[in-house]
Amino acid sequence: MGVAAQDRLAEVVESCRDLVEDMTFPSVRRWQQEHPGGQVLGHFQVYFPEEIAHAAGMLPVKIMGAGGRIEAKQADSHIGSFVCSICRTSLELGLSGRAGFLGGFYTPPICDVARNLAGIWGRNFPDQTARILYLPQNANSRHAVTYLREEYARLARDVERMTGRAMTETDLRRSIAVYNENRRLLRDLYRLKRETPWLLPTTEAYVLAAAGSLMPREEHNRLLADVLELIPARSGRKQDRVRVVFEGGFCEQPPLDMLQLIEEACYVVDDDLLIGLRWIIEDVPDSGDALFDLAQSYLDRSSYTCIQHDERKPKEAMLLRRFEESGAEAVILAAAKMCEPGMDEQVAYQRVLDERRIPYLLLEFEEKMTGFERMRMEVETFVESILFD
Amino acid sequence: MSVKQATPLSPRDEILGRGRREGNRLFKEWYAALHTAAETGEHTAYVFVMGSAAEILKAFDFHLSFPEINALQTAVRKVSLEYLNRAEDYGYSTDVCAYVKADVGMHLDERRHPNGRLPRPSLVVATNMCNTYVKWVEIWERLYGCPVFVLDLPGQRGIGWSSQPGDEGFEADRRYVQGQLEELIELCETVTGRPFQVDRLRESMANVNRTAADWSAVLRLNQNVPAPFNAMGDGLTYMGMLSAYRGTETGARYMADLREEMEHRVAVGLGTLPEERFRLHAVGTACYSNFRRFLELFADWGAVFVNSEYLAYAGGGLDRGIQFDLERPLESLAEQLLLTGQRSMSNMFFSQDQLADTVRDWKADGIVYHAVKSCRTVSTGMADSREYLIRQRGVPALFLESDMVDPRLFSEAQFKNRIDAFFEALGARKLAAARGVAR
Amino acid sequence: MMHVAGVDVGSTQTKAVVVDIRRRVVGKSLVDTGAIITAAAQSAFDAAVEDAGLEAADIAYVVGTGYGRYKVTFGDTQVTEISCHARGARYLFPDTRTVLDIGGQDTKAIKVGDEGSVLDFCMNDKCAAGTGRFLGAGAFALDIPLGELGPLALRARSPVKITTTCTVFAESEIINWLARGKKVEDVLMGVHQAIATRSLSLLRRVGVEEEITFTGGVTRNVAMVQILEQMLETRLNVSPEAHYMGAIGASLFALDQAESGAAGALEALTIESRLDSKRSEPELCSSACPNPIIPKRMRDEEVAHL
Repeated sequence: MGVAAQDRLAEVVESCRDLVEDMTFPSVRRWQQEHPGGQVLGHFQVYFPEEIAHAAGMLPVKIMGAGGRIEAKQADSHIGSFVCSICRTSLELGLSGRAGFLGGFYTPPICDVARNLAGIWGRNFPDQTARILYLPQNANSRHAVTYLREEYARLARDVERMTGRAMTETDLRRSIAVYNENRRLLRDLYRLKRETPWLLPTTEAYVLAAAGSLMPREEHNRLLADVLELIPARSGRKQDRVRVVFEGGFCEQPPLDMLQLIEEACYVVDDDLLIGLRWIIEDVPDSGDALFDLAQSYLDRSSYTCIQHDERKPKEAMLLRRFEESGAEAVILAAAKMCEPGMDEQVAYQRVLDERRIPYLLLEFEEKMTGFERMRMEVETFVESILFD
Repeated sequence: MSVKQATPLSPRDEILGRGRREGNRLFKEWYAALHTAAETGEHTAYVFVMGSAAEILKAFDFHLSFPEINALQTAVRKVSLEYLNRAEDYGYSTDVCAYVKADVGMHLDERRHPNGRLPRPSLVVATNMCNTYVKWVEIWERLYGCPVFVLDLPGQRGIGWSSQPGDEGFEADRRYVQGQLEELIELCETVTGRPFQVDRLRESMANVNRTAADWSAVLRLNQNVPAPFNAMGDGLTYMGMLSAYRGTETGARYMADLREEMEHRVAVGLGTLPEERFRLHAVGTACYSNFRRFLELFADWGAVFVNSEYLAYAGGGLDRGIQFDLERPLESLAEQLLLTGQRSMSNMFFSQDQLADTVRDWKADGIVYHAVKSCRTVSTGMADSREYLIRQRGVPALFLESDMVDPRLFSEAQFKNRIDAFFEALGARKLAAARGVAR
Repeated sequence: MMHVAGVDVGSTQTKAVVVDIRRRVVGKSLVDTGAIITAAAQSAFDAAVEDAGLEAADIAYVVGTGYGRYKVTFGDTQVTEISCHARGARYLFPDTRTVLDIGGQDTKAIKVGDEGSVLDFCMNDKCAAGTGRFLGAGAFALDIPLGELGPLALRARSPVKITTTCTVFAESEIINWLARGKKVEDVLMGVHQAIATRSLSLLRRVGVEEEITFTGGVTRNVAMVQILEQMLETRLNVSPEAHYMGAIGASLFALDQAESGAAGALEALTIESRLDSKRSEPELCSSACPNPIIPKRMRDEEVAHL
């Protein structure tokens, strides 16, 4: 690759990283300036049908905490102690005024803390529409898709009310096309990472993907298309690193420093980081009813996480499949501190990996952690035990 | 404050204490039946207090085993730590819900429980009213390969949001729930090999109608001064009966008897303490590992719990009564489950205004929040709700922290300090109010 | 002239105060609590009475407070230190509306009403990370005498951020920072800031309203006072009598009772208390942690001087 192209790629990655770390949300503010009167819809982890907000001209923005970048000073007095950091810092974004641009805040029922968050948000920000989007938790019911379609219709009505703009089937189709494209590009990015990880470090792939949740998806599509051309042309040599699957980044995000120390010793060939942005794994089809198609895709064309119960996707089997399909050699089982579903699932994952004699490393993390020496030692020891086995 | 003197004993007084006596007896019987089922292999369903679908399950004669009740019993019997340690040794983090761990600890010991051996599950039914339920049932699924049914009850969407039968949104939710109930019935037929009989369902639902009406009346009797029962004391036994015997004739009769007893207590002015000095409303679960001490710390100050949010949501949302329409059983079941489910979840996530109303209606002097480390469902929003109540509604509120079943998290000194300070302030407040009135 | 007394039995020190009918402090004393609490309460009381130039029989009413309040067996009644600190703070600073008490093993924020009543309170009595004990751990890890903590911390130029909440693990975090070449004062200031931040969280829960009175053993630490004032953007009331705040409040309660004619006989209390065994309860963090480890080098009385 020429130097100019290399520089451009580095610049793009750097700007994505800056964006992801900037808790003043410059991309959102810029969008607001460019769209006077435009409404921003905040959504929490894990998955949110952004197309529905997008179709009415809203900017959907994923609120996923603020890591160690802000101190949850005020949130501490509003939210109980034994609660994950991501909910705390997300609330802090609201309480500190940083998320004042939101017209609404939606959270799915991924866990009880997230559901409580809707109540706390509503009490403290009465001017915003704070809602739980009740994604179905009986994914195996024949009636789930009809129900979800109605839930999406309810969301659509909320969006129409917030924007004062009606939403048509055509609007939705257009948005779905944009997001289908986005998901395709993310799949390509992940394929690159899987097949040639030496050309795409995890931290870079991460910020490139995460940036999308903070900007109009059309813009993100252009950005991804661009980098997808540049990355394969990079020069880089394959190194002797252990290929791992990182499992546990579906909600609270590990700090970049943590991903960095992992990638110094491993190639993270697949992961569930920000899986919500890649939840739907094929194109959303067109049956003539966009809301129905979105609902059905959520249920039938989707990935897996420990916060969803679906008999067709037993977690252990899904993890093993991810492991095999990515050609991994080991698994990093991470769980965010205080994350009930994450901690519960860790036990089951451990058992199956033990049974299959697949090496794994158990890690507990917090988005705001700062000391990594111990973790570095654990990862290094783990890698050594695999390499020198 | 109570100054009424109880009238002398009358012949009706033999019913005093009946609710507690009968409750304890029925409780033992229920566990004995489970123990028998463990031996004979009779069908047992594992269900939860927040949404058991007992109406349907009793129509198939399932025994019901409540893991939450089983877990809290290990704490009441002072052996919970043993179970917790076993689960933690197995790999469960210290921060995982202690109910789950106490239960896992029991399964790891072949379901040996202080109240007897518990049967394997033929079927598991969980609602989404607590998200941890869904992780919990997956554990049994792995242990026993049993069929699991997650009954999804979409709840209140946000503050100020409400939905009633007839609303488009409500009906969409109701159709979903009804569809799931039909699927649950199919599953029960498969598991038991028996056909569904709608009359059995009507029977259960009729029993629940009676039970709920009497229960809701019993709760309201505590608006009297003095309150006839302690909502966090005997109230928990009564609530246990509500879950364990839901849908049965025994359960309905128990609740009718309880109502009679409580009405009698009110008629003769019998409270729970020699002198009822303070009336309180509780938010959060009980502290089962140190149950008696917990109550004593309040009783020492002449305080009684006149109501508790716990009775509402852990009682399956029957607190405001339920009226199943037996003419259209499945539709009505779906409707009422949805309403009671929504209300229960709202009590946990969106409770602030109704708390102030309850304090007013039950003539309470303040609220006691008991945050438990295990249960993020009830505890996460407490600090914020409390702040809101103190600031916006001026309700005195005490904040305590421990756990339901993990004795390591209870500190009597800390509890006593906070409780005493709260009553000192309440007492001073009352004194000042009295002086203000006198002037 | 009538006199009353307040005895504040803390985990490390016991304070007693004698007050006359005009609400003047006429005698006071401070002793180490030690292992036998009843003895400590008695000797503190005796010493305060002697300091006042009186005899025990001259004391009309005694109120016990602090964690060991039920061990003040010669007392007439007990009142929690929360209520006593509120009253004591109002006595020393009549415009007090909020009290922050950072003690050796717990921290409290108290909202104070007219006449020193308690409107609301919030306690951190579960986690050592927000209390004086955290400072003790820091002092131990950095090998600094306690009296020098404050002045040294004030020399910091770029304080580090201490993120561990566990007092025990904070030591290794501190050592880590030093190993990375950070200056002692910068690390020490980080420890101070961590405590201040947690205290502020408690204060916010009750709502900060001026004037704010800072009390407890940690008030002697000049750095802590400065940091809190910076964070709160206001002056704090700090009294050299901060140690006696609880006992003073207790004696005021005693005065209420004595003036209203309550029985003055020295009745022994009969309420059983298992407070002794609970004195150093397991702290509550993400793991149910064993009893907090006080570094052997630091004796109990030193903790109190933080």
